[in-house]
Amino acid sequence: MTSNDVVIETRDLGYAYAAGRFAIRHLSLSLHRGEILGLLGRNGAGKTTTVRLLTTLLPPSEGTAIVLGQDIRAAGRALRARLGVVLQSESLDFVTVEKNLSLYAFLWGVPREIAKTRAEEMIELFELEHARRRKPWALSGGERRRFQVARELMHDMEILFLDEPTVGLDAISRRRILAYLRRRAKGGLSIVFTTHIMHEADMLCDRIAVVHKGKLLALSTADELKHQHGGAREVTIIFSTPLTSNLRAEFASAIGQHGAVLLAPEPGSDPLPGQVSFRAERAEELLPWASHWAQAHALEIERMAIEEATLEGAFLGMIGETEEGEAPEPGGPTSAAGVLTRVSGGGLP
Amino acid sequence: MSLPPVLRLVVRNFASNLDPLTIVIRFGQPAITIAVLGTMFSGIVASALTDGLSYTAFLVPGMVAFQMITGGVVSGNLFWLDRRWSMTEQIFSGPFLRAEYLGGLVLTTLLFSLVGVGIMMLVGLPFIGVSALSAVGVLTVLLTVGLGSIFFAGLLITLGTRLRSANAYFTIQSFLQLFVIFLSTVYYPITSTTPKVLATIFYFNPLTYAANTIRDAFNGRFCAADLIGIGVLGTLAAVGFGAAIWGFRTMDLGPIQ
Repeated sequence: MTSNDVVIETRDLGYAYAAGRFAIRHLSLSLHRGEILGLLGRNGAGKTTTVRLLTTLLPPSEGTAIVLGQDIRAAGRALRARLGVVLQSESLDFVTVEKNLSLYAFLWGVPREIAKTRAEEMIELFELEHARRRKPWALSGGERRRFQVARELMHDMEILFLDEPTVGLDAISRRRILAYLRRRAKGGLSIVFTTHIMHEADMLCDRIAVVHKGKLLALSTADELKHQHGGAREVTIIFSTPLTSNLRAEFASAIGQHGAVLLAPEPGSDPLPGQVSFRAERAEELLPWASHWAQAHALEIERMAIEEATLEGAFLGMIGETEEGEAPEPGGPTSAAGVLTRVSGGGLP
Repeated sequence: MSLPPVLRLVVRNFASNLDPLTIVIRFGQPAITIAVLGTMFSGIVASALTDGLSYTAFLVPGMVAFQMITGGVVSGNLFWLDRRWSMTEQIFSGPFLRAEYLGGLVLTTLLFSLVGVGIMMLVGLPFIGVSALSAVGVLTVLLTVGLGSIFFAGLLITLGTRLRSANAYFTIQSFLQLFVIFLSTVYYPITSTTPKVLATIFYFNPLTYAANTIRDAFNGRFCAADLIGIGVLGTLAAVGFGAAIWGFRTMDLGPIQ
């Protein structure tokens, strides 16, 4: 990527809604052309304020932000004409869905013929055919949200800001919209997507900025966040033959030197004869070590599985690190997920 | 080629927020007042009290002046609904300036008021005679109603930028309408029998200046008081518009629900 690809660049951006009371502070991030950046955070974390700052709806209290080459302090109409914004709050006109779409396109100066074609596309894409002649207040919450996203896509833009666009949507609609956004991003549209739904951010975003209490905690890819902040995860190894008590003790001691803790079988569980489980930070880094240990002891590993790292786990881990009393439960933040993913089948070399 | 932003906003204001029933009621009510109230009171009110005019002929200019309230209320409500349903913020996130949005509201007000003036004159002219108005008179009427509309629109828009409750907005707006209409010379003249307190209050009401000026324009009886009236309305229009600009510059754009 070149510097020409950067469409948003902020440096120590901040907004104070009252003297000394910052909604967001020291925000430094960038967005590249065709990239989807997720702003992930709890309610009130500062996500909406960030969107309002970057779309010139709020003047920054400190720091700088360059959007599409323009300083947001000085930019106005010319910049906003290149942006699309789906606000978190419902914004409606009191005419039918169809009329709303054409009226919004008219407001943006979209030629009538293009607007007509686009309205049909949006009605189909966002499954609003049955609602085309209904007024927005007669729609369900999810339909209204779909309509609002559809309406914004009536005009051309270079950056699309979506502030919690999938709230109230069913899984199918959500996937459909996310898939469409992914296609648009591949076509060069840059997207800022705020959400507090973890798997949505994981599924859609190229990079994720985790915002908490007005501060940027992390900015990276979902995988990297999981890797860095996913906390301790459980690894299960099934040896082809049961370990003797001596070998088991040796394994526990050896793995303990890597910061891992061997887990006793849970009461009532029925572990396989050769099964051992341990919990470790950066668990995946111990997998090669475990296979070497098995080789060194002339053991064969039948199966090895690692608990899946989730963005939710990483998010809770990060929040826990910043808030006393909200630390993740013992056993790691990912324990709630409890998903075991097979990472290796059969014996290892 | 698309229209300038202000005109696009005016089209949107008309298309999106003015449903037919509201329009019929807004224009129908004063038209019915002229037809029914005018006819009924003409037989009761002595023409001596209304400068030798029939009560209907007295009432028609009052109802024309009333259109500045109608226009102002339409604009104020439009803005309130936009704010309540977050359309103000949505529009400001697009290629529009606050000044253009405000300009769009003012133009909508003026168009609405002027259409209202036309309807009232159509309804009223059979009662007062087709030759009642000179070209200067028509211009005076339009100027008076236009200035008054800007004042009331500015007042209600300012109110809308400050309040965060629909109940509060509509209660104050209704009270204001009632106060302004009944404490003016729309329905009755100020005579020697009018209590001094009321007469004084009447002269603090812009609708009084508008009704008196329009009445004189209808009757071809311009006087210095009318010029003062137009001056007062012009000043108030500037104050109302200025207040609306201040309200716009300082209001929180966020949702108010």
